[in-house]
Parts: sequence; C-alpha cells; structure tokens
Amino acid sequence: MTATLAFQLAIAGISVGSIYALVALAVVIPFKASGVLNFGQGEMVTAGAYIALVLTTLALPYAVVFLLVVLVGAIGGIVIERALIRPIIRAPEFTVVIATFAIGLLIKGAIQLRFGDSPAAIDGPFGMDPLLVAGLRFNPTSVWIFVCMLLVTFAVIAFFKYTRLGKAMRAVSINAEAARLMGIRVESVWRWAWGISTAIGAVAGLLVAPVIGVNPEIGTLILRGLVAAVIGGFTSVPGAIIGGLAVGLIETFSGVIVGSTFKNLVPFIILMLLLVFRPYGLFGVAVAKRV
Amino acid sequence: MFSRQTIIAFIALVLLAALGLYVGTYTIYLLNLAMIAVIAAVGLNLLTGNSGQISLSHSSFMAIGAYVSALLSARYGVPFWAAIPTAAAVAALIGAALGFPASRLHGIYLALATLGFLQIVQIVIEEFADITGGVRGMRVPKPAWFGAMLLNEYEIFLVVAVSCVFAVWSATNILASSYGRDMNAVRLSPHAAQALGVAVARVKLGAFALSAVYAGVAGGLLAMVVGFIDPIEFGVSAALRQITYIVVGGMGSVAGSVIGAVVLSGLPEVLRPVREYSDVIYTGILLAFLLFMPHGLVSIWDAARLSLRRALARSFAK
Repeated sequence: MTATLAFQLAIAGISVGSIYALVALAVVIPFKASGVLNFGQGEMVTAGAYIALVLTTLALPYAVVFLLVVLVGAIGGIVIERALIRPIIRAPEFTVVIATFAIGLLIKGAIQLRFGDSPAAIDGPFGMDPLLVAGLRFNPTSVWIFVCMLLVTFAVIAFFKYTRLGKAMRAVSINAEAARLMGIRVESVWRWAWGISTAIGAVAGLLVAPVIGVNPEIGTLILRGLVAAVIGGFTSVPGAIIGGLAVGLIETFSGVIVGSTFKNLVPFIILMLLLVFRPYGLFGVAVAKRV
Repeated sequence: MFSRQTIIAFIALVLLAALGLYVGTYTIYLLNLAMIAVIAAVGLNLLTGNSGQISLSHSSFMAIGAYVSALLSARYGVPFWAAIPTAAAVAALIGAALGFPASRLHGIYLALATLGFLQIVQIVIEEFADITGGVRGMRVPKPAWFGAMLLNEYEIFLVVAVSCVFAVWSATNILASSYGRDMNAVRLSPHAAQALGVAVARVKLGAFALSAVYAGVAGGLLAMVVGFIDPIEFGVSAALRQITYIVVGGMGSVAGSVIGAVVLSGLPEVLRPVREYSDVIYTGILLAFLLFMPHGLVSIWDAARLSLRRALARSFAK
C-alpha cells in the first residue's frame, strides 16, 4: 500500500467515520441522561435527510435548510420523548429497547408511505468536484462533513461543561434521584437530552444525504453508530467520536486488506469481541453495582 | 395414564388434522405459516418471556435452520425428517455458542450483542452467494420421505401440525419442570436465584440453545413450506415480528405465544385492502401493546378468570 493510497483511504475513512461519530454521539447523549438507548436513532437520521430533501426542493438557502433541520429534529425528539418514552421509562429494559426499535420502524414506515422506496439525490453545499491539495484529492462534501462533526462535538463538550442545563444533565447521569433532591428537574433534562440527540441525528442525515442519496434505508447507519458507541464506552462524548472515526477507518482499510467480502463483517466482529471482553468500551469505566 | 397436557395435545392434533381435510390449498398454506410462527414464538418466549433475555437474533436461528436443512436436502438429497432435526441441532450448537458470551451480558448490551449476531448471519448469507444464493435467495427442493417419494400438500400440513403441537406441548412441560422454574427465577431476580443455588449462567446458556432449537425447526419447516428462502426473510424486521408475537400474546406464557402468533400471522390477510399500511399498523400494534397492555392478550383471559373465581367465591360465601 503506497503512502498516497493510505492517505486517500484515511480521508475517506474519516469522512464516513464522522457520520458514524455523529450517530454515536446522538445515541450516547440520551443514554447518559436517562439510561435509554435509542435503537430508533437511525430513523432520526433518515428523517433528517428527508426534511433536508423537502426543504431543498423549496429552494431555500443551505444555511436556512441546516437551521430548520436542527429545529425540526429537536422538536421531533422532544415530542417522542414526552409522548412515548416517558410513560415507559420505568418499565423493564426489554420494553424500552423494543419500544425505541418500534418508534424507528414507525418513522421509516411513514417515510416509505409518503416518499416510496426510490432514492432521491440532493446536492451538497460545495458540489462534488474534488479539491487537489499536495497531490491528494479532497472531496469538499467530505471535508464539510468532518468540519460539521468537529463543530457539533465542540458545541456538545462546551454545553456539558459550561451551561446550567449541561451541568444538570451530567448530574442526572451520575445519580438521577440525588439530582432531583438538589432541585434539578430531571424530566426537563430528559426532554432536552432527546431534543439535542435527535437534532444531531437529523444533522447527520442532512450531511450524509449528498453522499449516499436520500432513501429509507439510511437508518441502517445506526448499526455502525452503535459499534462506534460501544468502542467509545457508551457514556463518553470523546469516546463516541473516536469510536466513530475508528469504525470509519477500520471499514475503509479492511476493504483493501481483507477484501470486500469480509469488510462488512469486521465492525460486527469487533462489536462482539468488545461486548465479551470490554463491555464498557475502550474509554468507559466499569460500573460497580451494589446488590 | 396420560397427563392433561398430553391429552389436550392429542385432541388439538386430531382437530388440526381434520381441519386440514376440509380447507383449500391457500388456507392450508396460511395455517402452515401460522403454525410455524407459533413454533418460533414459543421458542422466543422461553428465552425472552421466561428467562428474561432480550434477543434480537431469533430470526437468525430460523435462518440457520432454514439454510442448513435446505442445503442438506438440495445438495445431498437428505430427506426432510433427517434434514430438519440436523438443522435444529446446528442451530442449538450455534445458540449455545452465542449464549456463552451472552450469558454474561444483560439489558442493552445483550440487545447489542444479539443485534450484532443477526448482522453477522445476514452478511454471511449475503456474501457466500455460491452456497446460499446470496441476496437473490435459493430454491428449496420439494420435501421427500425417501428419494423421489415426495410429500403431498396434506402430508406437509400434517408434518407442520405435528411439529407445532409438539413444540407447544414440550414448552408447556419444560415450564412445569424444575428447569422452567429456574428460568423464571433467573428473570425475576438473578441474584436471588444465584443465592438459592440456581446456576444462572448455565440456565441462560440452556435457554439460548433451547430457543435456537425451536427457531431452527421453524426455519426448516418454513423453507419446506415456502420452497424459497432469502436473507431478507430473516432480518431485523423478522426478529421484531417474532417479538411482536410474544408481546401481543403475552410474555412468559405458552398460550400467549400461540395466541400472538396466530392472531398476528392472520393479520396480513385482514389488512390486505390496506396492504401498504401493514408495516406501520404492525409496528403500531407492537408499540400500543408495550405502552398500554404490557402483559398481552392473555392478561385479558387471566383477569376474566380471576374475576369469575372471585364472583364464584362470593356466591358460595353467601
């Protein structure tokens, strides 16, 4: 493998990994706040892509489309949390897992009814002509995805570190009952955790749409996002990002090294191995539980 | 001489066999699919409803059963009565292999591991297309007793009916055994069960292998009845469909598995006029039951029986 090829693969891996990182981040935030893992998060990404498609056909400028996708995504998450998740938040874990799955499938079903199965194309903000820098080809859309991922990550980190709501969210994730006794409105933290996470998911959909086209199967990205979250340890924001990038890089490089037949298997084999040997991820901390 | 369950099983089998004589080809086909759904649901319910282990990969074990039995009969001419049990045994072995790591996990981590396993099975079927036919699927030869002696439609129906009744009968007996009590104990409180001497990890592992046997048989029968299999038939949506059966019917109840599987596999027929909405309706039903009736349809029956008993007790007390 030449250095140029390796660089080119790394660029591709980081680009696709940025999307996985955003999905992983969207999965990790509500899990941290409320212990609910949203298996339907992939469909929030699909929904984001379709919202972008509809808004783009209205000929709105990209910045407006971007903001509206964030807004609609957040409202969607807040509504879902209030209407469907909160009534079962104390139910057995099985109920919650299957309910989030079902919510995702409902959204996918609704999208299929409205738009059908045929894919639609949507343009990125900077076109598809590659930029040549020092002999390496950079796809502007890939660069844009990476930049957005970094911006979202820093915004999330700053949010957790400096804002009242972010601090409250951290407190709730450590101990919800103690946080409630300290006067934190736990329900409000759950609501915003879902709103933020679905907004991030919707942005991931908007970003990935020019690359893979708008179709109802975008949601299968969640599988890679979950692998990324497991690598990152499920409760750590930087872990989710590193996990996402790692999955992207592993996927592109394993395509060259072990061939395309096994390329798709690699992330899931890693997932199984991690769950067996390091279920709290490479960056997470094992939770000791008193029984 | 025979227990009540055994007598009920015989009566059910005779009634089913008689029913099969009076209905047309299409109804027989639907009955076959419903009975196969019952077998799969019974197995999943032992694992999820009784042992409390989330599994998103039940359909993968159906896939293993379907592909192993189909390949045995297509490549080596193995008759169905040897191919399907062999396929079920392979499914059990792989189920135990998955159960080994899975018995250390719980909750979402178990959900993730089984989801990962489902993906691995899907990808393996898709990528080894020279053997499995890949995404284009594979045709399954017509089932034979021996060599060229093929089963007719009614005989196939009888095979499925016997398997289905046996599945329900065996699950009922397993739940009445000490192993069944162990499974329920592991679900209700793994720590208390451990303290009382239940080998929790072994019970979980056994439950994975056992549920894989039911799924393997269901998969082998499905391949035989439909005559064609492809990986989509065994994907995430199939796994969710089987979970819907047990949630709608009633978690942890054999009767619940039967009711849920029969009602929901009849649903596509009812929904035929609004076919394009059927996925959404199906998922909506699952979500509605999770939210509003988490104990499933059998809870109606249980509640009715309880209030009847109370009413009787009151009238006797007078």
